[in-house]
Amino acid sequence: MSFPTYKNDKSSELYARATKVIPSGVYGHLGPAEGQFIPVQKWPRFSEKAKGAYFWDVDGNRYIDYMCAYGPNVLGYGDPDVDKAALAQLKLGNCTTSPNKIMVDCAELLVDTVNSADWAFFAKNGNDVTQAAILTARAYTHRKKIIFFNGFYHGVSAVVQKIDYPGILPEDVANNLYVPWDDIDGLKKVIEENKGEIAGLIAQPYDHGNFYDNKISSKEFWQQVRKLCDDNGIILIIDDVRAGFRLDLAGSDHYFGFKADLICFCKALANGYNMSALCGREFLKSTVSGLSYTGSYWMSAVPFAACIACINKMKKLDTPKLFREMGTKLTDGLVAAGKEHGFDLVVSGAPALFYLRIANDDSMLLHQEWIAECVNRGVFFASHHNHFINAALTDEDIKLTTEIAEDAFSVVAKNHPEIPELH
Amino acid sequence: MKDAKTLAYINLFGILGALENLCELDEGAQELLRGKKPISIGITVKDGPSATLTFKNCRCRMEEGCDKCDVKLPFSSCEKFNGLIDGTTTPIPSKGFTHIGFLLKQFVGLTDILTKYLRPTEEDLKDEKFFEISTKIMFYLITVAISQIANHDEIGKFSAHLVPDGIIEMSIKDSVGATIRVKDHHFVTIKQKPQSYRSAMQFSDIHLARDLFDGKVNAVACIGDGSIEMHGMINMIDNVNRILDRVGLYLA
Repeated sequence: MSFPTYKNDKSSELYARATKVIPSGVYGHLGPAEGQFIPVQKWPRFSEKAKGAYFWDVDGNRYIDYMCAYGPNVLGYGDPDVDKAALAQLKLGNCTTSPNKIMVDCAELLVDTVNSADWAFFAKNGNDVTQAAILTARAYTHRKKIIFFNGFYHGVSAVVQKIDYPGILPEDVANNLYVPWDDIDGLKKVIEENKGEIAGLIAQPYDHGNFYDNKISSKEFWQQVRKLCDDNGIILIIDDVRAGFRLDLAGSDHYFGFKADLICFCKALANGYNMSALCGREFLKSTVSGLSYTGSYWMSAVPFAACIACINKMKKLDTPKLFREMGTKLTDGLVAAGKEHGFDLVVSGAPALFYLRIANDDSMLLHQEWIAECVNRGVFFASHHNHFINAALTDEDIKLTTEIAEDAFSVVAKNHPEIPELH
Repeated sequence: MKDAKTLAYINLFGILGALENLCELDEGAQELLRGKKPISIGITVKDGPSATLTFKNCRCRMEEGCDKCDVKLPFSSCEKFNGLIDGTTTPIPSKGFTHIGFLLKQFVGLTDILTKYLRPTEEDLKDEKFFEISTKIMFYLITVAISQIANHDEIGKFSAHLVPDGIIEMSIKDSVGATIRVKDHHFVTIKQKPQSYRSAMQFSDIHLARDLFDGKVNAVACIGDGSIEMHGMINMIDNVNRILDRVGLYLA
């Protein structure tokens, strides 16, 4: 089946306006300069509205959205139950002098839901809580060094950026130690070389970095990491900002069979309402109480109401199971569609957060071309990022996605008569 | 934030290396060399780079090392050599005194012309031909500087260690191009477009390239509006962009 292609004229016009008054037009991870929109002309730059599994851009094009606002859209845009709870709370009060009582309800629900949580500390963005976790580890241990696994992304605080990033000083990252994923011997060596100096180890639940196949760690790996941390007084921090509630509602540490000391949540917490949470074990609660760390909107009530509704609905739907099934169905369909035209589409990571790569060439050029053709026909993928499933996605959406993907594969194959395996 | 050794590598292979492009592109430079016998000038810097510039048939070619040269200019340190480029150090040849005339006339003449192209006035750039030559020379200088920073600067090396092997194309559409070859995180710049690449960064036209070099437009915004295109292994380009940030620091 052949699908019409989209035009992005209004997006381009608006982007030109934006660059005059906003640094780089759209900055950060939603922006077109992050290497996720190649070529940028094929992607919308601004949306007009969103509902369920779709958003519409300013040119009126509809997209089945597999980026889900880079994670926060977990139940579907404008989920009626979450929005109803949020609007009801808005009428009662949001940003108030004394925090609304609903904050306690929200904390209790998180403690009941998340396996390693004895308490919950709220903020706004993932970065707020990864930074809080590092501060907590340092405050508790009175040590300064932090271990990271290569390919990490833990937000934008100076300590979690890299030495070659703009504005970062060597001193900002002088106490960072880097270890490859799944390298227990390497981890042991680093711990031995820095004995008594390491405050914490921060890691995502598995290697879901960008620009390369994602790799699921084994339960055995995590057991060994947990033991090394215990033996050496190192606080084990799980950054579950991206994967949280998509693998396991009790936390991704629970999914991998261990218990983190601190665990960071954000994206899927409240279906797009702005909040994040640091949860942790009892022995760290007093240390967190002592942090000098707060924000004007961190105790706003509307997101707490949204969070409660969102978590309850995720439990009711059993979203991790749903996402696993839908992600598998979708990616199986994409792989089969690619095979029809001679493309070797590699799927990696958890099905709920699937990562795609066409492996016919080592330059990603075919991959970028295919992704762009999908986007240009209404399936919103990113060039080199894991994708996200949301609960509003239907079997019809998955069917349409595979049909568009198949059309896109055929277009790319036609563009490359010089590649024999595509014909 | 910048170190003398990296700067010395940029000054030798980037700045003096630009004499290759100058002699190819500028008639005045060619005129200075017309009728002159071939001559090679070796530059060796203690604990730093060494290279030989050969002037022949109105053209210039640079090669690493200076074992065979007619004139040899030794420098006792990177700082001293950097002083030559700043104009604060006067070189004294250790070999080839009979060719001092070439050094004083032709070589100084060429570097004076090069300086005009590398530090142009707004007025100079209004001349279309001057604009084009200046921008092309700047382009080559920047692409060479990327490799030197990747190989020698401590922060540049951090960026380079994240770059996988392969060929990176940097080019200005309908104009010049360069190849950056990466092998085991070591960078080599070749001043011509590659036949194929693993990743590419392409500027839409020479005017955009100039505005970028002069800091008049922002590279991130240009990627956003498509006037700079990135293709292929984006993690290669991403890290080259971080090195590119440091090029400005060294060339300022």
